Amino acid sequence: MEAAEDWLVESLRLYQDFHAFDLSGATRVLEWIEDKGVFVAGYESLKKNEILHLVLPLRLSVKENQGLFPERDFKVCHGGFSDRSVFDLKHVPNTRLLVTSGLPGCYLKVWQVAEDSDVIKAVSTIAVHEKEASLWPRVAIFSSVAPGVLHGVRLSGLKVVDLASQKTTYTSGVSDSEELSSLQVLGADTFAFCCTSGRLGLVDTRQKWAPSENVSPSAGSGGGRWCAEVGSRGIASLCSDGQLCLLDPRDLCHPVSSVQCPVSSPSPDPELLHVTWAPGLDNCLAISGFDATVQVHDVTCWAGTEGQAEPLFTHRGHILLDGNAPDAAPLVTTHTWHPRKPRTLLSAASDASLHVWDWVDPRASR
Amino acid sequence: MGEGEGLAAPQPALPAGAGQDVGRSCILVSIAGKNVMLDCGMHMGFNDDRRFPDFSYITRNGRLTDFLDCVIISHFHLDHCGALPYFSEMVGYDGPIYMTHPTQAICPILLEDYRKVAVDKKGEANFFTSQMIKDCMKKVVAVHLHQTVQVDDELEIKAYYAGHVLGAAMFQIRVGAESVVYTGDYNMTPDRHLGAAWIDKCRPNLLITESTYATTIRDSKRCRERDFLKKVHETVERGGKVLIPVFALGRAQELCILLETFWERMNLKAPIYFSTGLTEKANHYYKLFITWTNQKIRKTFVQRNMFEFKHIKAFDRAFADNPGPMVVFATPGMLHAGQSLQIFRKWAGNEKNMVIMPGYCVQGTVGHKILSGQRKLEMEGRQLLEVKMQVEYMSFSAHADAKGIMQLVRQAEPESVLLVHGEAKKMEFLKQKIEQEFRVTCYMPANGETVTLPTSPCIPVGISLGLLKREMVQGLLPDAKKPRLLHGTLIMKDSNFRLVSSEQALKELGLAEHQLRFTCRVHLHDTRKEQETAMRVYSHLKSVLKDHCVQHLPDGSVTVESILIQAAAHSEDPGTKVLLVSWTYQDEELGSYLTALLKKGVPQAPSGGS
Repeated sequence: MEAAEDWLVESLRLYQDFHAFDLSGATRVLEWIEDKGVFVAGYESLKKNEILHLVLPLRLSVKENQGLFPERDFKVCHGGFSDRSVFDLKHVPNTRLLVTSGLPGCYLKVWQVAEDSDVIKAVSTIAVHEKEASLWPRVAIFSSVAPGVLHGVRLSGLKVVDLASQKTTYTSGVSDSEELSSLQVLGADTFAFCCTSGRLGLVDTRQKWAPSENVSPSAGSGGGRWCAEVGSRGIASLCSDGQLCLLDPRDLCHPVSSVQCPVSSPSPDPELLHVTWAPGLDNCLAISGFDATVQVHDVTCWAGTEGQAEPLFTHRGHILLDGNAPDAAPLVTTHTWHPRKPRTLLSAASDASLHVWDWVDPRASR
Repeated sequence: MGEGEGLAAPQPALPAGAGQDVGRSCILVSIAGKNVMLDCGMHMGFNDDRRFPDFSYITRNGRLTDFLDCVIISHFHLDHCGALPYFSEMVGYDGPIYMTHPTQAICPILLEDYRKVAVDKKGEANFFTSQMIKDCMKKVVAVHLHQTVQVDDELEIKAYYAGHVLGAAMFQIRVGAESVVYTGDYNMTPDRHLGAAWIDKCRPNLLITESTYATTIRDSKRCRERDFLKKVHETVERGGKVLIPVFALGRAQELCILLETFWERMNLKAPIYFSTGLTEKANHYYKLFITWTNQKIRKTFVQRNMFEFKHIKAFDRAFADNPGPMVVFATPGMLHAGQSLQIFRKWAGNEKNMVIMPGYCVQGTVGHKILSGQRKLEMEGRQLLEVKMQVEYMSFSAHADAKGIMQLVRQAEPESVLLVHGEAKKMEFLKQKIEQEFRVTCYMPANGETVTLPTSPCIPVGISLGLLKREMVQGLLPDAKKPRLLHGTLIMKDSNFRLVSSEQALKELGLAEHQLRFTCRVHLHDTRKEQETAMRVYSHLKSVLKDHCVQHLPDGSVTVESILIQAAAHSEDPGTKVLLVSWTYQDEELGSYLTALLKKGVPQAPSGGS
């Protein structure tokens, strides 16, 4: 208890704002709906999981007079039940639809968020063909008048399915069976993929398969698993051993920089690796999936290639808030940046905790 | 409020409770013919009659005292007891009002405070008087936790610890085998001065729980505390003064303990003051009700006075003019009068200062105005006060959220759950969650709606030893999987139920048993004499009915068990014999079977007789 109280005092200077919640089940999903709500979903294997639409406490959305809003709680705006684990969830913009992916069973489920009640109901299924039972398809949404669901377990299975008609409107058409770790829609016709091997590519769906690609990272990466995110600053690619590469989309073959993030050991569950660019801060990104922390890095501090990168800020709330014993520390399952508030993040951990934190830039002058 | 129609099954009616943050609680339950009113709250958002529950719902004609068996008040918050004096003295109720001892002690203080604000500050006319509050409290019967209180010879109630505020309780109402549990406001996580709510596996037919916060996921206590500490710390660091208006009891103790715990850690030297009126009153009540606080407080209290803090000192009004930073806890809580208002007026003009409002403020008070964003206030004598100090509204209320409600349902194991003060459309998901996890039915009535619950009460029936022995004699052992039919007579006398044998029942009632005998005629073609026909029948039945006792009596008749078969000559046709088969009512089954069997035909007896 002592350590927890000490950290609480320290947190007064580390964070502007800090909220900590206990969900009924841990989530691997944090998907925004506009900038006022997030979706979370459970991933337990033998019981019914909940999919929840949570609305942020009002004080986080108001611009002035924050002090007059006492409510600090999440509101459960909608909820639904899923029979299987949910590993990914995407909201289809401008609709009340969600697409989820999980296990067991290789298929995507489409859900509807009710308008006149607080229920989320499953409405349809999108079949995905994959023989290996332990793999699940990654998902990204092409939002347009006729939204399309981009999904795939491997490069060979990459498809875009029209949500309304369920007709396939695009296929990669390749036989390459490399496993995917992330998919990201970049524009009306472009998307980025990242394979578990670290192979990255930018694809234009109007052309026959000819992505701008990198070469898979060298053998030095030692069999780690990669994931990536494209931002306005470039592409950040993260490995399960802590290596972080910055790439220029115009020249994927030559990384701009490559650093080693301070992680005490490789990620115990590389599927939980996340790297995200800050939408409101020019040069910042966040990483998680190695332990109970989230690290915020400023990429302009990375002089060249190679070397240790010191994070600008490390969120330790998931272990220190309640003073857990070090061996009982949970694992951060996912994190996301607030779309509007520049230094606010949400992070979720395997102990079902969900934090909303606004970190103080240590470089800001007093 | 809903209509109470006195159905046999528990049937709560649902009144009041408007918005999410303030509602008025007032629920009517009809259980096995008894009528109980749960809470009698005031709606703080209204200034007119809408703030009181509509008691005409209870009974259109007839006195409330005759209709209601008792009233139960869960805790001293005004949205649960604010309408009580109006109800008992102005509408009229003279029956018992049950509440815990702390609630009994504190209720009248809050009611009087509220009355003063309403009448003196806002000049309201149709309001209860101080005398009415006193008269109302005379009707109160105070109860202890876990004490079974007999309201009458059928209705009993029991209070359980609810956390939330000092003296708050959840109540179990029981009539015979049927029971309802009403939670009032409760909290499933302990705080620094109160414990968490707790109930045993009492398995009520119905659990009525507040669901105002049912669709929320609450921010952790540590983060709320952190926010408070941060605000105080920042203000004090820049040399400002922090005013925290509080009620005598409630959050004040919690916040004092919090500041005391952290002041040294944060290396702060600024003084913290607690206005004297507060200390005395608080000490008095906490001493009286020490069993209501949490374990840690009780331990500390034994060693020292609860309000002898290291860093917190008694306030003197002169200190308000001292330069430099300080923190002051002062009453009253809504800044409507007294010391807190005085201090506020002195400090409001400096933007370095801060006022932290820890709770809801009633309309018309300065607290309510500044929380609405008003920055220019008209004070007495038309003086204009410009508020430059920072205003912070913090919620420290301890209510159960979705997780807390699930925990309580898990503890009590009710058959059904009823959620009050929520909006049905916005709670469909929670309803499904509760129904799925606990396999119970979940109701969410709207204000004014009546919910009727069917129950299957267990009625214990004593079985007479004689009857039991007789059944056992049959030889077959009881088998839980194979129910056996038992014949007996149920005697209901003086609320006593007994199952006895029919003979015993007849004896007790002084009646003679009537014997019913049936006789059936079966025609048989046989030219021989009657005795030979009888013999033929006897041989046949003996061979066919191996499990039954078939006898040929000396007078020529045949018996199967207790059924008699006699052969007689047909009056007109010598070639036909008439078999008379007769049996008593008890042997109906066998008698019908025998008749049918004989009608199928009887083979010729082997020559030479049997």
